[in-house]
Amino acid sequence: MVDLTQYLPILLFLGVAVGLSALFVFLPMGVSRLTGAHNPDAEKLSEYECGFPAFEEPRDRFDVRFYLIAILFIVFDLEAAFLFPWAVSLDLTGWPGWITMMTFLVELLIGLAYVWKKGALDWE
Amino acid sequence: MDLTYSLGLVIPELVLTLSGLVLLLVAAWGGNEASKPVSIAACVALGGAFFLTAPAVCAGASGPDTVAFFGQLRIDAWAGLAKLMIYAAAGAALVVAPAYFDRLKAMRPEFAILVLFAALGMSIMVSAADLLALYIGLELNSLAAYVLAAYLRDDDKSAEAGLKYFVLGALASGILLFGMSLLYGFTGTTSFSGINVAIADGLSGGQLFGLIFVLAGMAFKISAVPFHMWTPDVYEGAPTPVTAFFASAPKVAAIALLARLSLEAFGTQATAWQQIVGFAAIASIVVGALGAIGQQNIKRLLAFSSINNVGFILIGLATATLAGASAMMIYLAFYVAMTVGSFVALLMLKDADGNQLETFGDIKGLSTTQPALAWCLLLIMFSLAGIPPLMGFYGKLVIFRAAVEADLIALAAIGIAASVIGAFYYLKFIKVMFFDEPVDAVKGKSDWAHWALLVIATLVISPIAFLGTEWLGGLAEAAAAALATAG
Amino acid sequence: MIGIEHYIVVSSILFVLGVLGIFLNRKNVIVILMAIELILLAVNINLVAFSAFLGDLTGQVFAMFVLTVAAAEAAIGLAILVIYFRRRGTIAVDDINRMKG
Repeated sequence: MVDLTQYLPILLFLGVAVGLSALFVFLPMGVSRLTGAHNPDAEKLSEYECGFPAFEEPRDRFDVRFYLIAILFIVFDLEAAFLFPWAVSLDLTGWPGWITMMTFLVELLIGLAYVWKKGALDWE
Repeated sequence: MDLTYSLGLVIPELVLTLSGLVLLLVAAWGGNEASKPVSIAACVALGGAFFLTAPAVCAGASGPDTVAFFGQLRIDAWAGLAKLMIYAAAGAALVVAPAYFDRLKAMRPEFAILVLFAALGMSIMVSAADLLALYIGLELNSLAAYVLAAYLRDDDKSAEAGLKYFVLGALASGILLFGMSLLYGFTGTTSFSGINVAIADGLSGGQLFGLIFVLAGMAFKISAVPFHMWTPDVYEGAPTPVTAFFASAPKVAAIALLARLSLEAFGTQATAWQQIVGFAAIASIVVGALGAIGQQNIKRLLAFSSINNVGFILIGLATATLAGASAMMIYLAFYVAMTVGSFVALLMLKDADGNQLETFGDIKGLSTTQPALAWCLLLIMFSLAGIPPLMGFYGKLVIFRAAVEADLIALAAIGIAASVIGAFYYLKFIKVMFFDEPVDAVKGKSDWAHWALLVIATLVISPIAFLGTEWLGGLAEAAAAALATAG
Repeated sequence: MIGIEHYIVVSSILFVLGVLGIFLNRKNVIVILMAIELILLAVNINLVAFSAFLGDLTGQVFAMFVLTVAAAEAAIGLAILVIYFRRRGTIAVDDINRMKG
């Protein structure tokens, strides 16, 4: 027989989460009604999602510029993953480790400078 | 201090890295006008790396003094000799590129930088003494190569070549990597010498799988049969200077790496891979020769020719002896000269408007319209076919001698028989150029740099080079001897 | 108890799925990119599992390198794909046939 009491913390956690999120949603709505800032128009009522109209054909192609940003993001994001193991083992690697990582970061910076100068970061 | 000593050993690589990074910034700020200075600077960097590497090769560097970065790299004579060929071939690609790209208005400084980084990756490959360094070097080379293949952004074929090369190259890396992960798991180490010790008492199932996956991945990279199918398409689609580069430098790097991996990491279990390599060698020779026969496009034909040549080099590896390894190096040296020569000659086939010609129909009767070019091409093709007294014959001779010494007489016999099939399509060049009615399509003028490269390549494979074979043989022997001193 | 064999089986299945994804897929090149990622992730499972099993850190360091190189590889693959798409207006696998041997 499964001992259900061991799941009590999860239940409590869910309860607190639901309560808090309800508070975050409804409190501003109530406050805006009370303070008179409640003034809906078409733009405010429409859904917002990072630059796209929210509802359209899901198989539509989207702008190739998103790919460019995504490509650059992947590279710089994952190269930064080397920082975590480096940071926690700096006491073992000492100055050589520090210099090595700085060299690596300078190389990344050169890459960034190249990308920037080439205009890959400009949206237009 | 160990780190400083290691850095001292890799000065040629540091030169390449620093010049690559600085030139990247120059390229960003200078724009397309910077193409020429960047190309020249890249050539100078490659030349500098060449001359910094040369002393170690002449001295036959070997032993524990060559170990750098805690066993990741080995800067010995084997790596050095391969690097000399790589830098020379990369330099040749840089020299012929501007004329080709200028006409298409596609010359950008990034070309030279990509070649530099590819050369750097190849240096790391041939020096790798650990699976980790092997992987990093291989990927640095491959990533630059994918971009180079797709370099002509406005050309259908180039983009398609890049895409194909990327997909199959990434698959090859994946297979190689899966094999490496199995080897690591079942031997508990990633260093070549450690693996060699761990498998000394026999291969377990997991180790055998790892070994086979690694060999399959490497076979992809050197385009040995049965993993050769990408080669003709990529060679045809990529811009010709890039194809010249692909056919020379990365082949040297991947073969030198494969030899080091086989002999240093799997040396104690040579019988396990000798048969695989022997099979791939014969299959490559036959498929390369048969595939080339019907081709009308010279670039495709040269792709099959490179598959064919890889087969002969693999016979040297199948011997699993140091004599075989040194024969591979000798063959590679002449192979690089023949490849560079044939592609430079191909680049010199231009019509009056400067458009590149690359089919057999265009070179009919070339001997009457462009005799100098036709004679150089004749010598190179005879050499590729292995006709004495040219150096292509000498390369095959040392390979077969090593095979016979290692009691692989059957392999040598099949190889010799198959090279006769190969001779057929090289002779087709001669027939078309010397005995067909001239069409006089080749009218374009070529600059002195092309002529110089072509003449150098022809001299290297001409009988005059017999004077240098003893010296080259000595270097190759010292290089192969360095492989034996792992640890 | 989950042993090393379980990890090897999972990673082998993922690896085979990735390889099949490259060869059987006839629709979309993006799917091929995903299949390549799947292969590399199979390798990473292997490396990390072996590393934990052997009590040796090399495997985890190797996995870090594989991750970052995979990112660079995906970036270059996407870039080449974008060039190809701009040229040809399609990324269907069956349309990549400008050259035939």
